[in-house]
Amino acid sequence: MADNQKAVGVSVPRIEAREKVLGRSVYVDDLRREGMIWGKVVRSPHPRARIVHVDVTEARGLPGVVAVLTAADVPGDRYVGPLVKDQPILCSSSVRFEGDAVALVAATAEEVAETARDAVRVEYEILEPVLDPIAAMSPEAPQVQAGGNVASYSKLRRGDVEVGFRAADVIVEDSFSTQMIDHAYLEPEGAVAEVDAEGKVTIWVCSQYPHYDRQEVARVLGVSLARVRVIQTTTGGGFGGKFGSPLVSCYAALLAARTGRPAKVLYTREESLRTTVKRHPYRIHYKVGATRSGKLTAVEARFVGDTGAYLVVGRAVVGKSTSHGAGPYEVPHVKMDGYAVYTNKAPAGAMRGYGVPQVAVAYESLLDELARKLNLDPIEFRLKNVLREGSQTATGQTLLHSVGVAETLERAADARREMTPHLKTGKPYLKRGIGVGVSWHGIGAARSPSQATAYVNLCGDGSATVLCGSVDIGQGSNTLFSQIAAEELGVPLDQISVVTGDTLTTPDCEATTATRVTYLSGNAVRLAAEKAKGTALELAAKHFGCLPEHLILARGKVQVPDAALEISLTDLFKKHAVQQISALGVFSPDCTPLDPETGQGSPHATYGFGTHVALVEVDQETGAVRLVDYAAFNDVGKAINPQAVEGQIEGAVAMGTGYALSEGMIFDRGKILNPSFATYLLLTAADLPPVRVGLVEAPEPTGPYGAKGVGEPSMNPVAAAVINAIYDAVGVRIRELPAVPETVFAALKTRQPLPADR
Amino acid sequence: MCDERHKVNVTCRVNGREYTLCVFPLMRLLDVLREELRLTGTKEGCGEGECGACSVLIDGELVNSCLVPALQVNGAEITTIEGIADGDRLHTVQEAFIEAGGAQCGICTPGMILAAVSLLGRMPEPSEEDMRAGLAGNLCRCTGYMKIFEAVARVCQKTGTKVNA
Repeated sequence: MADNQKAVGVSVPRIEAREKVLGRSVYVDDLRREGMIWGKVVRSPHPRARIVHVDVTEARGLPGVVAVLTAADVPGDRYVGPLVKDQPILCSSSVRFEGDAVALVAATAEEVAETARDAVRVEYEILEPVLDPIAAMSPEAPQVQAGGNVASYSKLRRGDVEVGFRAADVIVEDSFSTQMIDHAYLEPEGAVAEVDAEGKVTIWVCSQYPHYDRQEVARVLGVSLARVRVIQTTTGGGFGGKFGSPLVSCYAALLAARTGRPAKVLYTREESLRTTVKRHPYRIHYKVGATRSGKLTAVEARFVGDTGAYLVVGRAVVGKSTSHGAGPYEVPHVKMDGYAVYTNKAPAGAMRGYGVPQVAVAYESLLDELARKLNLDPIEFRLKNVLREGSQTATGQTLLHSVGVAETLERAADARREMTPHLKTGKPYLKRGIGVGVSWHGIGAARSPSQATAYVNLCGDGSATVLCGSVDIGQGSNTLFSQIAAEELGVPLDQISVVTGDTLTTPDCEATTATRVTYLSGNAVRLAAEKAKGTALELAAKHFGCLPEHLILARGKVQVPDAALEISLTDLFKKHAVQQISALGVFSPDCTPLDPETGQGSPHATYGFGTHVALVEVDQETGAVRLVDYAAFNDVGKAINPQAVEGQIEGAVAMGTGYALSEGMIFDRGKILNPSFATYLLLTAADLPPVRVGLVEAPEPTGPYGAKGVGEPSMNPVAAAVINAIYDAVGVRIRELPAVPETVFAALKTRQPLPADR
Repeated sequence: MCDERHKVNVTCRVNGREYTLCVFPLMRLLDVLREELRLTGTKEGCGEGECGACSVLIDGELVNSCLVPALQVNGAEITTIEGIADGDRLHTVQEAFIEAGGAQCGICTPGMILAAVSLLGRMPEPSEEDMRAGLAGNLCRCTGYMKIFEAVARVCQKTGTKVNA
């Protein structure tokens, strides 16, 4: 950037911050179109039932009702899903979870649509639901999906665990379970659709992947992709839950196509909590062995991820658990088996961490147990085993660069030392403890090939437009793109406009998921800007009769620093009859797919790492756990916008602590009992202590300016640190998340006497 | 009278401007603002008073507008996010949110800014504990609240007061 100013590595405010603090950002609920109708979804009250009859007569007859649709009214394909098309837009013969969609109504006012929704009479034959994922795996269990309840099986085989366990001096083994949680973004799902005079459909939707929504809408309407345009509205949080918003997009589109009027479908909070995708609950069994000197010899694990009624991305989530289940450690012998299993519950999908937080909490708990048995300090023990440059992961991938996990552990040791004086409470019933959690996360989906694309249009005055399909869901990627383009093109940030999230104008860049946007899309933007700059410098080189390498571009001028010459891009473009320079950047990470039999391969080009330290206080009289202090160290490669990176990590700490201590969907015979923020408990400002964030920057040579990403790596170790801190405080091992007071209290009642030293 | 089947007149001032509205008495203030006045800066996060996204000030008091029936604001002075800035000049709390990175996805931001304005109005020198308690009625899923605390602390620095530890 010009005048030695840098755009990368600087904490700049979000480019849309002003409109956000003024309340002027337009979210989907803020849209209103002339003649707009309101859609509502008729949903099953039963987790498993056969649909005997749907009677829409009364609903259709209500004044103001303009449409009542059932499955028979869907003009195109009736099933959607990112991996397998198994989820019906509207169910016709059976319902598979409480909240499954049966019919769709629309009216001229929202209240009328609600009345019509309740007036649709559905006769069900209620069936016994399949609720326990382990029981669901039995061949005798009723089938949730026609192909059987085991939706996927992924495995990893490295070395021979029998040999590894024979070499171990100490072995620990235990079972854990984790709960279903919701993304709980403050903006529920919604979409508005409109059909123009030519029959083209436009959808406005809060989404992490508008191009995927376009695919599903086109299939469901039975029209070509070119006739559907999806525009992402300012999106009030995603965390994986809006990894495509195909259902709500399709509902709005179906109603608009059917009636010719603009249609809005907006989920209520209850609907969002009850029916949209969730984090997979897991059943986990681990066995881990180590030598007396503290070297890990073998890890064996079995995971069952409850994917609910539909697969969504369950296969990939459990696959990520198996590839990440041995943690960021060198382990010679590893055996992992992961299953995604259908049950009659709300479908589980993508959620920040994608199968890693679940297994990290179990694995890191057992690593603490091992350290205790070996009389080793938990951080020292981990440092003996942690991945370093040149190490091989459990998938057999050699990591040559950007392995900053040891540094995160070393800094965590310092933070723990600073916390130690605060262990005393002065009250006998309040006990404090410190816990450490370590984790990692492969950047980008474990899919090969995967690619990101972006265009940069460089204008004569030096300003530029970035066009990229990767959408900003609040994490700040549009700002990041503007920083990267400004850095490459040598202009201030305000000379860059960023366009994302419109399928008509931006290339499909795959989803904003998998901690992939900084690394993949950031690279695509950087490459496009570099190429645009290169073209400008070549033109200027002809003009000056020199080599392009001797030129620099800054503030709309090409300069020959050695000769103190310069030409403005405006003049240069005029001279060569160039209106603007458009360049395409394409980036594909260097990965190899995992072998389906051995789980061996290089699924990710690079990995993010983190070590977190939690200081908790346990009230032994109530079982209540309070977070007292927290320090998070994440290796992000390079923080392109340090303030935004810190914001990601701090948000992850709150979300991860909620996962550890308070959040969880509560079920009674397959029905969710707490679809409300009054009973689904998110942490509030009052529940969190100051969180200290330390950025470790082990540069990734293939990342943009060395950057990797942080969204998920910051989430993965949190619950592990908190659960280990509870053990340190009161000597009970929580094996079932969340550690709500009842669970902790029950564990305290059965605990073994503590050593007398605390 | 405005009765289209039992609607009533409600007169109130919103962001300094007086309105006489013909609305159902139990219409939520949130809907009055968003639908009748098209002031869409006030957001709906849960519709049951748990998340604070719809926070506004009524006669200076911070309330969840999803829980307030229209009839109750007859004669009241209401401030929404649209009334916080002075024209194009941002309020110090808004400036601080920008500088500190207090807004991520932004959906809780309008309500959070009103909560912060309300807190600083009541306590110009809030302690950390006061801040936590003062903002506890407003959920944020993105930030973990740290940058929001930092924004409030920045306001205190700017106005010469300090945050007591």
